Parts: sequence; C-alpha cells; structure tokens
Amino acid sequence: MIGSGIKRGTAELAVLSVLQHGPLHGYELARRIEQQTNGALRFTLAALYPMLYRMEQQRWIRGSWETGANGRRRRCYRLSPAGKKKLSPLRREWAELFRALRRLTKVAHA
Amino acid sequence: MPDWQKLVCRHLHLPLDAPPEIHAELAAHLEDAYESMLRKGINNSEAAKRTLGLAQDWQDLQRKITLVRSRKDTMTNRVTQLWLPGLATFLLSTGILALLQISGLKAWILTNDGDLPISVLYVWWLILLPLVGAIGAYLSWRAGGSQRVILLSIVFPVLPFLASILVVLPVSLILDKFIAHNTSPMSLILALFGWVLAPAAPLLAGGLITQRFLSRRSSLDGVAGR
Repeated sequence: MIGSGIKRGTAELAVLSVLQHGPLHGYELARRIEQQTNGALRFTLAALYPMLYRMEQQRWIRGSWETGANGRRRRCYRLSPAGKKKLSPLRREWAELFRALRRLTKVAHA
Repeated sequence: MPDWQKLVCRHLHLPLDAPPEIHAELAAHLEDAYESMLRKGINNSEAAKRTLGLAQDWQDLQRKITLVRSRKDTMTNRVTQLWLPGLATFLLSTGILALLQISGLKAWILTNDGDLPISVLYVWWLILLPLVGAIGAYLSWRAGGSQRVILLSIVFPVLPFLASILVVLPVSLILDKFIAHNTSPMSLILALFGWVLAPAAPLLAGGLITQRFLSRRSSLDGVAGR
C-alpha cells in the first residue's frame, strides 16, 4: 500500500486523469481509480468528497445533479477547461518526480 | 436496505447554511457502495457494515467539509457583502456627480484667502447621496454583511478621496516642490471636509436609516414567523 502523504499528492492527478474520459459521480470515480490502480489508491468519504469540493472551488472540475437511466439522481463531476489545462503540467511534474526517484534508487542500489 | 440519507444526516452535522445536497451526495455514494457489495454476493448485514466502514471517521469528514466550505464562503462573502455593494455605491456616486457636472449645475466653491478654489460642494450631489448610501446598505445587508461591512459599503465612495487626501497629497507635498501653492494644511482640511466628511454624512444618514429599517423588519418577520 502507498503511504497517505503520497496518496494525497497523487489523488488530484488521479481524479483529473479519470474524469478526462468522461463525467462520473463520486462512487464511480472512486471505484474506477481503485480498479485502475489495482487497489493502491482507495478513497474514504473523508478523503474523496472534501477533495472534490476543493477541486470544484478551484474550477478544475464541475459538479451537477443528473438523473441516470435507473431514475436515480447522482452528482456527476466533469473536467472543466481549467482542469484540462491543469492536467498536463501536473502529469509532467509527477513523471519528473518518479524519474528522479527511480534514478535515486538505482544509485542507492549501485 | 438502510436509509442512507437518514444515516448520513444523523452522523454528519454540517453548518445550517450548508447545502442539503452534501448529505444527499454522500448518501448516494453509500447506497451505490452497498448495492455493489450485494451484487458481489455479500450478505445484507456484512455489506451494511462494510459500507459504513467507508465513512470511517464522521467527525473527520465533517471537519474537512466544513473547512473547504468556509474557505469558499469567506471569499464569496467578501465579494457579495463588501466589494459589490461598495463598487455599486462608488459607481452611482461618481455617476451622479458626473451627470451634475455635465448638466452645468452650479457648485458651492470653498476658497482660501487668495480666492483660490480648494473644495467644491455639489449640493444636489449631497442631496442625492442618502439614496446611494441606502442602496449600499441594502445590497450589503441582503448578502448578510456584518455591521462593520455594511458601514464600509455605505461610505465606500468617499474612501478613495480619503486615501488620496491622507496619503497622496501629503506625500506630494514632501516630494514635489512644484506642488500647487494653495495646498496648505488648511486647504487639506477643507478638502477633507468637501470630499470626505460632507459626502460621508448624507451617505451614512441614508445607509444607517435603511439598515435600521431592514434590521427591524427582519426581526419583526422573525417574531411573526415563530
């Protein structure tokens, strides 16, 4: 399992990346992230919703109530233009960090 | 099936002004999680137990949501309670003054010993300013502004003049030796009177009367509603 500090940092990237493929409601969003990370990123309500509300305030995502095919109302989140813009530098930053960590661990092994 | 909405409302005590949609959204999440577990063949009581486990710490959730919302509210409040009413009163006040100047209405001109103009009083402007103050008070009050914020919204149009008289003119006097010779301490006081105190008085009169009226009305509504 990944530690909580790293999780916090990667959570926003995970949400933006998943929403890039289409709007999702909170539960489905958490389920997709968990599935696509093989359970490494798992959200509790206290981790997911405050983060979604914060990202909504930053205008990276937009939430709206929608009625699904089963007639149930769910709050769906979609990526905003600002969120799309934020995604690529965020990806770059994390990729750089992982490359740096990989180099560091290789040096440490050698 | 457990009533998730009721359960969330029982555990999560958000501020009264928090939108009820938060409870509904969290309840929907728990409902989806519960049903997903049932589909996987987990029995009812175990699924309910695991679903509740998703919340883990309700107090932590409550604290985090309140924190995120309070940040938003602080920003929104400042804009709707102070900046927008302030901007409205400032634009109205300067707009009225500009119209009076364009229309050619004569102003009362304060002069110093050498008959040099120091301050100009537009009487009609001063007569109309209570209305501007009232509008500022109403807009700020409607947005839920505190006494202090309402007061600032009312006198907002004179604040730029106050700043320029207290800061810009004295600094110019020190730094610029070619500053107009009529800028003596007396003329500063007169300018303060003409551009700040004289307009502030009618603004405050209109604004405070309106605020008192609105507060009284809302308290009467509160009594009637009980």
